[in-house]
Amino acid sequence: MSDLPSTLTVARAPLALAIMSAAFVLLALSGVAFGSTWIPLDQVAGVLAGFGEKTQNIIVLQLRLPRVVIAALAGGGMAVAGFLLQKITRNSLASPGVLGVVDGAALGVVIFLAVLSDESNSLVTSIAYQPVAAMAGAIIAITLVFVLSGRQASSAIRLLLFGIAVAAVAKAVTMVMMLIGPIYQTSQAARWIAGAVNEVNWGEIQITAIAMVPVMLLVLLAARKLPPADLDEVSARGVGLDLPLFRILIFALAAGLTALAVAFVGGVGFIGLMAPHLARLLVGRNVYAGILGSFLLGAIMLIGADLIVRVLFTPIEVPAGTVTAVIGAPYFLFLLMGKQRHDG
Amino acid sequence: MIYGGLVVLLFAAMLGSLTLGYRLYGLDQVWQALFAFDNSETAVVIANLRLPRAVIAPMVGAGLGIAGVLVQTLSRNRIASPDTLGLNAGASLAVVLASSAFGIGSLLGLSMAAALGALLTSFLVFAIAASAGGLSPIRIVLIGVTIAGLGHSLVEVILTTNEAQLQQLLFWLSGAFVDRPMALAQSGGPILLAGAIIAVLLARTLDALQADDVTATSIGVPLVVVRGASFLSVSLLTGASVAMAGPVGFVGLVVPHAARWLVGLRHDRLIPAAALIGAIYATVADIAARFVIYPVEAPVGAITAVVGGVVLLVLLKRRAA
Repeated sequence: MSDLPSTLTVARAPLALAIMSAAFVLLALSGVAFGSTWIPLDQVAGVLAGFGEKTQNIIVLQLRLPRVVIAALAGGGMAVAGFLLQKITRNSLASPGVLGVVDGAALGVVIFLAVLSDESNSLVTSIAYQPVAAMAGAIIAITLVFVLSGRQASSAIRLLLFGIAVAAVAKAVTMVMMLIGPIYQTSQAARWIAGAVNEVNWGEIQITAIAMVPVMLLVLLAARKLPPADLDEVSARGVGLDLPLFRILIFALAAGLTALAVAFVGGVGFIGLMAPHLARLLVGRNVYAGILGSFLLGAIMLIGADLIVRVLFTPIEVPAGTVTAVIGAPYFLFLLMGKQRHDG
Repeated sequence: MIYGGLVVLLFAAMLGSLTLGYRLYGLDQVWQALFAFDNSETAVVIANLRLPRAVIAPMVGAGLGIAGVLVQTLSRNRIASPDTLGLNAGASLAVVLASSAFGIGSLLGLSMAAALGALLTSFLVFAIAASAGGLSPIRIVLIGVTIAGLGHSLVEVILTTNEAQLQQLLFWLSGAFVDRPMALAQSGGPILLAGAIIAVLLARTLDALQADDVTATSIGVPLVVVRGASFLSVSLLTGASVAMAGPVGFVGLVVPHAARWLVGLRHDRLIPAAALIGAIYATVADIAARFVIYPVEAPVGAITAVVGGVVLLVLLKRRAA
């Protein structure tokens, strides 16, 4: 191959990123504008700038905007997690969902809801700890996948199989916990697992955002070393990189991001699989562009999925995660069909 | 000899299913309820609550056990099962769709819907796998798991738009033998039996299929016919099981391994053994489900899924697949 494609992609990346950003802003604005009452875009802008009517202020700031913001954060976080996992396993089929991280986080949250509620169905502790539970669940799950797979971890496709097995166990235990838990919490948990972005408030967004910033910074720091990880272990050591350790770091970061993303939003399936793919397709091989592109695309996808759900199913609130799964699963199959010879 | 032992075990498990639970009953009480029904509270509980599950659990277990053997042979894959191929999810989706979209309420109708769902899913999975460059064992499972995920999210959409049914369907969807009417056994039984008979008739040819396709063809096995008939059998077995108990996870994964370990690789021995072992396994799991989170009843599907997940991990660890 000549270096022509790479020069092309370098030139293409800024343009693609600019278009994605524009699409992101546009979708975010329509995410705020759409709903049971339509608020024209100029009025949305007015509210955001600080001079809107009272009712519009409430609708926009308390109901619609939180939804859009959390969708952007969660979708973006999930997508970056997927990007990291795909990069480090050198396998385009890896994603937080397939590696059992999402089910682990779900189990963490369900245990949290079930164990820490009192008889009157209210939590005995602050909801602020929910992301902590999700994080713990996610990290335990991914650790289990790795410990159990042992030396087989070097084969990405076998890693996926271990992920599937761990996910299956986590799912079963989740089911039991949901049945033990009080009914109100059960329906909460069911919605959570399906992945819903409604009913979030600013407090939850704050928690997510504050926790996400340092993780993202770490991701960007680690990203500098990501391209060599495309190498195999021996050559990586040759350029002075301890691959196993680095791999663990990346996995921890991916688990953390996933946990934060799913902590309040739930199992938004398949975004972590699709977004990084499209991002690589659109912006090329540069790692930073890939991360940024994944984040934007993930955000776009979840906001878009939420919009679709709101437009199609109003007044019923269908979890946005179902849309991403319905679109994502065929995409995954398409991927499998395209990759014919890379498994063992 | 082995079969005799298994039959005795099954009988013991079914007796246990009748006597053990939230309340313990003596064998004499069971006897009285079954053969000298006297309308006492005990007799009513045993005959109406305990008996159906003591009958349905072994039926479902046997069905899934046989289905597991067929699926593992067909895909030449020791970690295949009706669930890893997405058949359970397909059957569940079909049942939920049939009841919510088409208003089908009859048990027979739902059983048929479940079988149809399983059949369509099996075609889908194998068609995609074939077009994706061959039936590599791992590829089939990956595709099956994805299809299962898709099926689950579609079920999720239907359920969230239908919140009143959530709690009840949630229990059904996790697989359970509790609160099933005896009529289910009557509507599912014939379908199950049909599937099992096809499986037994196929036993000889399935032996040949264990090698590769070329060998099988060269000794005169009509591949297309055998595969088609096997899928039909698997779909009937899985569909009937799902209609009766919901998706009871991973029974079809675990049972064939136990059966192979006991009686070897020949299908004429393997299929009856898998049926018996599956029946015992499901019945015992059902008894365990009554006690793990006592006094509340756990869905048996959760128990079999945990066991199955662990077995799957062990199989992967040993590189059995």
